[in-house]
Amino acid sequence: MMLARVADSLYWVGRYVERAEHLSRLASVMLSATLDRTDAGTQAAELARAAIGDREPAADANPFEAARALVLDRERAGGSVVDSLSRARENARQVRDQITTETWERLNLLYLRATDARAEHEFDANAPDFLAGIIADLHLFKGAADATMSHGEGWRFMVTGVHLERARLIARLLRVCFSGHQGAVLDDHLALVSVLRMACALEPYLRAYTADLNSRYILEFLLFDEDFPRSIRYSTDRMEEHLNRLSRGREIGRGDPARLAGRLNARLAYTDVEDVESTGASAILTAVEAECTAIHQAMFDTFVAYPLEMRLPA
Amino acid sequence: MVDIQTVQEGSESMRRPEDYPAGLAYDEMFTAEGGTRPHYQLLHNRIRTLGAMELAERQQTLERSFLLQGITFTVYGADSATERIIPTDLFPRIISAPEWAKIEKGLIQRLKALNLFLADIYGAQKIIGNGVVPRDLILGAPSYRRQMQHLFVPHNAYVNVCGSDLIRGEDGEFFVLEDNLRVPSGVSYMLANREAARRTFPGTFRQAGVKPVERYPDLLLATLKSMAGDWRPNPQVVVLTPGVYNSAYYEHAYLARLMGVPLVEGRDLSIHDNLVYMRTTAGLRRVDVIYRRVDDDFIDPLSFRRDSSLGVAGLFNAYRSGNVVICNAPGTGVADDKAVYAFVPSIIKYYLGEDAILPNVKTFLCRVPAELDHTLANLDKLVVKAVGASGGYGMLVGPHASVAERAEFADALKADPKNYIAQPTIQLSTAPCLIDGKIEPRHVDLRPFILSGDKVVVTPGALTRVALKRGSLVVNSSQGGGSKDTWVLSDDASATSDGDLEAGQ
Repeated sequence: MMLARVADSLYWVGRYVERAEHLSRLASVMLSATLDRTDAGTQAAELARAAIGDREPAADANPFEAARALVLDRERAGGSVVDSLSRARENARQVRDQITTETWERLNLLYLRATDARAEHEFDANAPDFLAGIIADLHLFKGAADATMSHGEGWRFMVTGVHLERARLIARLLRVCFSGHQGAVLDDHLALVSVLRMACALEPYLRAYTADLNSRYILEFLLFDEDFPRSIRYSTDRMEEHLNRLSRGREIGRGDPARLAGRLNARLAYTDVEDVESTGASAILTAVEAECTAIHQAMFDTFVAYPLEMRLPA
Repeated sequence: MVDIQTVQEGSESMRRPEDYPAGLAYDEMFTAEGGTRPHYQLLHNRIRTLGAMELAERQQTLERSFLLQGITFTVYGADSATERIIPTDLFPRIISAPEWAKIEKGLIQRLKALNLFLADIYGAQKIIGNGVVPRDLILGAPSYRRQMQHLFVPHNAYVNVCGSDLIRGEDGEFFVLEDNLRVPSGVSYMLANREAARRTFPGTFRQAGVKPVERYPDLLLATLKSMAGDWRPNPQVVVLTPGVYNSAYYEHAYLARLMGVPLVEGRDLSIHDNLVYMRTTAGLRRVDVIYRRVDDDFIDPLSFRRDSSLGVAGLFNAYRSGNVVICNAPGTGVADDKAVYAFVPSIIKYYLGEDAILPNVKTFLCRVPAELDHTLANLDKLVVKAVGASGGYGMLVGPHASVAERAEFADALKADPKNYIAQPTIQLSTAPCLIDGKIEPRHVDLRPFILSGDKVVVTPGALTRVALKRGSLVVNSSQGGGSKDTWVLSDDASATSDGDLEAGQ
């Protein structure tokens, strides 16, 4: 039992923290890709920009400026790292009594560092270091939450937020890279490495598939792997697990978010990469994004904004 | 590790440093002759062994830990909001056991009398009938809530949480300057300062024998639960906050977290059939006791201010029906009104038949023509306060004011004398503080916290507020005040003699 508003805020802490991490990683890959003066480098940078919603990057736009805006510009349409961190922290502050001090201090420290007057200077001086620091701190935050918070209702809302955001973002990244709008098949080694880096998946991928990089294996790994924490299948598995526990013992009708999560998870469990290749990746990736939106809405309707007259004690 | 040197009373080393200005006021650490007071000797010793660099470092660590924990208040500018920590000084203020014993007794006596007073004026109003307190002063006060008339309050505990402001005058005597009976804040700073002081001076802390303040949250919870009586087993307690934009939000979240109860906002609560519910993920859940940190005016738009969105519509009716307890009760502000303050010694005498243990500051009520004349004639010596104002606003410190400011206040006084009181300017006692790397005296006050439910308890500690501007007597945080930890020594440590100090090596 917890306050509906609190559950909602914890869920958003999870989502914004995950978003901040993903955007940091995209910015970092974008910066390092542009160091290579090759077509593949340019292609990787363009993919990263497409994945963050810069649909048609102006040819003359400086990739460094784009990455800088992605990290530091609070006003950037489509969000930025600093914006996500501020929102995560603001939500955490509203439920400060529900989060352990260890967890709160990690997030607060991160927020203070990213919004400090010196942050811009630090970014300009050494952007890769700055971003690596933020990503490492976000890992510390998640670790502190895992190690110090009770794994009860509140924690489940937060973790569900993390995985919902993650599934959405990875699906979008894959869609941008592999659904082949531009008609070009992504087969350049360097570009594929960049894709894996953006999903923080390079090393685990190499362990599973060796250095044989191709888009089919990457799709299989990031869509269907059961053990890798950034595969979509892994996230939907967690969402189903947590939502099942959250709705246990409740009378919830058709709009049960656990049912939606279970359906999505089952679809991923009984689909394989052959099916995807025959229909094109776009179909299933679009479906993942749409289902995540539906789960989000169902959670809100079920746990937060339910009509009062349904729940009055008899 | 602390290396306490042998202390020799009155030896050159234990005297007031040459550059520490003397004679501003009663100093908490040094006597007028320049010696160190006995209960400060351990601390003074420790400070002397630390260099300026070390002190500055510890001060920085302290401020950093406050910022990290988010113990901040928000300052709203034109287009942005910045978070600041309340400046915190690293030297604790120390109170000896006998002094504390008197303060404790005095505070309990005072709160008991004030609760009886509230029960009376919201009941039979005998004290008014007997002419001890003027009728119009009570019934005409904006903080008097006629909605509270003839309502049952368990244990007659209208004020469950009280934070009185005490000051020490030139002769070293403690006075009560103000009773804060509405929604007093600052207790989180008492606890956070203690947390920090334990890390700043661990050795000294251990040797000094400081009484613990850490039980405050569970005592508060017990007090709140006792207000539900036995009509509901295991009552659901919540803390009601105006929200994250309130300057004391940190404290609300802190107390809720340490008590382990939900921190709710008005929008989380709803009333049905005069029962209060909170909206949880599993549906509605009954609420029994509300520790509200929202002012009377805002708790219920149906009964009080109609434009409030911080409260809950219908809450007061639920309270009137006896289905929920609101702590502190609405309407307690009538007893901490600055004009009613002048009558508190008579109120104590009236209900308890005792003399006040802690004296009041001499107060001139400008509603009385003779006292208004006295006030106008002595504006340059007096502190004049508007009755309804708080937080250091609406106040004239005569000796520090310009001629123009005094003239302006004189006009206001003549226009509306009922709205003002005057008090002699008291040089609050000073305590050593670290200011720009140097140890300097600054004026301080003392805010202890008293809980009252089925019994009255004083937490042995307090928030010591510091006026950080040199010479300033205004300690409010909204006016540039800071704070420091307050150590109340336990009895056996008060017997500390030189021998004990040597044994503490």
